Amino acid sequence: MLDIKNLHVTVAGKEILRGLNLRVDAGQVHAIMGPNGSGKSTLSYVLAGRAGYEITEGSMTYNGENLAALPPEQRAAKGVFLAMQYPVEIPGVTTMMFLKSALNAQRRGRGESEMDAIGILKTVRKKAAALNISEDMLKRALNVGFSGGEKKRLEILQMSLFEPKLAILDETDSGLDIDALRLVAEGVNSLRAPERAMLVITHYQRLLDYIVPDRIHVLANGRIVAEGGKELALELEAKGYEQIVKDAA
Amino acid sequence: MTVALALPTRRVEEWKYSDLARALGDVGFGDDSAEVLAGPVPAGVEVFALDEPNRPDWVKAHYGKLSANVVSAISLAKARGGIALRIPKGKIIEDPVTLDFAGKGHVRALLVLEEGAALTLFERCDAAETRNAGLEIVVAPNARLDHVRISPVSGVVQVEEVSITLARDAFYHGHFANFGARLSRIELAITLDGEGAEAHLSGVSVLSGDAHADVTTHVTHAVGRTLSTQLFKKVVGGNGQAVYQGKVTVAHGADGADSRQTAKALLLGMRAEADLKPELEIFADDVKCAHGAAVGDLDSDSLFYLRARGIPEKEARHLLIHAFLEDALTDVTNADLREQVRGAVSTALDQVAT
Repeated sequence: MLDIKNLHVTVAGKEILRGLNLRVDAGQVHAIMGPNGSGKSTLSYVLAGRAGYEITEGSMTYNGENLAALPPEQRAAKGVFLAMQYPVEIPGVTTMMFLKSALNAQRRGRGESEMDAIGILKTVRKKAAALNISEDMLKRALNVGFSGGEKKRLEILQMSLFEPKLAILDETDSGLDIDALRLVAEGVNSLRAPERAMLVITHYQRLLDYIVPDRIHVLANGRIVAEGGKELALELEAKGYEQIVKDAA
Repeated sequence: MTVALALPTRRVEEWKYSDLARALGDVGFGDDSAEVLAGPVPAGVEVFALDEPNRPDWVKAHYGKLSANVVSAISLAKARGGIALRIPKGKIIEDPVTLDFAGKGHVRALLVLEEGAALTLFERCDAAETRNAGLEIVVAPNARLDHVRISPVSGVVQVEEVSITLARDAFYHGHFANFGARLSRIELAITLDGEGAEAHLSGVSVLSGDAHADVTTHVTHAVGRTLSTQLFKKVVGGNGQAVYQGKVTVAHGADGADSRQTAKALLLGMRAEADLKPELEIFADDVKCAHGAAVGDLDSDSLFYLRARGIPEKEARHLLIHAFLEDALTDVTNADLREQVRGAVSTALDQVAT
């Protein structure tokens, strides 16, 4: 589904990704682990299409299509979803109104008919309840005054609503207490499906106790330096990034 | 009758961002009288046409007493007509009463709300002709006025001065939606003259092309235990120019006065301009005053977030612009009038290249 080859990405004149290779197939959950500054967030942003992230070499192919050639909204319509580390607050737009606009924009982007407001409301309510998101939160301005946990839960609600083919979770565990983490992980696990791929980006092994990946990649200095099964996370936890990176060199 | 009142030049501080003499050109305001019509006027409301003889006592008592500046003085001197409305003591009027300003030249209006009266005033103006309007509003103790003004986009000069005095526990809530003119100036001079009086002002401007819109306010807390709030939002595209000058004066001894003012502008054109100038003048000791002003572009993080959720760029920008204006728009209390303002804002935003 996602095939990244020798990807080099420059941000503000500085090379952050330096020849990254990664392949994720449908039905799989891959984890990207790495120390701060290794390029984890750059990878998530370049996949989602944020401005200012310049690809100088290499390619990223999504279902056979050159992802770099598509603006962010088309990537979303084609099923790429990034659960962001820092979801933005937008005063003046209610959460419900935002969900409705986004869902229908994606449907339009795929040439599908729009969903009516009542249908969306019913679907959102059902999915929100499973994530312990209150009716009141949906009425409030998007992410405004939400706690860290509420923001992350809302990201997962969006993922559940948009039903992406490729879901990228950027540090979804950061800022969560153990209960919130469990709730978010349950939400993610319920979305595991044969037709869906997931890329879980995290600094800590903790999240991977709940979301068990098929494969783990260690990112350091802008490239993948080690790969393995779920046991790699435990090794990382025991030895620390420094040792793994050294071993790989 | 000759009036020796000269127009203010840009050297006058309050007119620094609005070159009235230049915008009017050689012809100036002229000597014509414009018109104002009120409707529908419910039973019990007294209406007096100002060009009629034998002014009643309530008109004599209040007419021309609150004029605050030279432009208003000109309209007082030159306007031959206009209208005066009196809402009698205790009279509460549910449906909005409309004031329609039309025609070329000078015009005056007077609105008196007696003790405990309540009214929603909807002010409209035709945009075709150069006009200088002066509106005086007297709000007696415990009376309440909700005021909404929509100024459509205009190619000529449109100036209006609104002077308001609020007595003890009187309440004023004004919203000014302004879409610009060759030169558009709304000047609000508000005096909180009795304890417990409150004035809440809000407004939106959406400008495109060469439109200019100036909202200048001067709120005076003459006595203590008075409250004023101001929230003005401006979206400026093209070569537009938005001006906000907000002066708050807290008089000597007006302890317990509380004043807040916020003005924000979103600049969407390379040559768009916003001049925001909040100002405080405090002569009392124990007061709470806060002010803030900010000019900026759309937030790139927000824009990316919306696009990453599938919302195309143009739509995302529109959503963020509406969101920027939202708190000022929800400030309009009357639902029908709020929808009218929203409609006018949407139409104006279609003209702003985003």
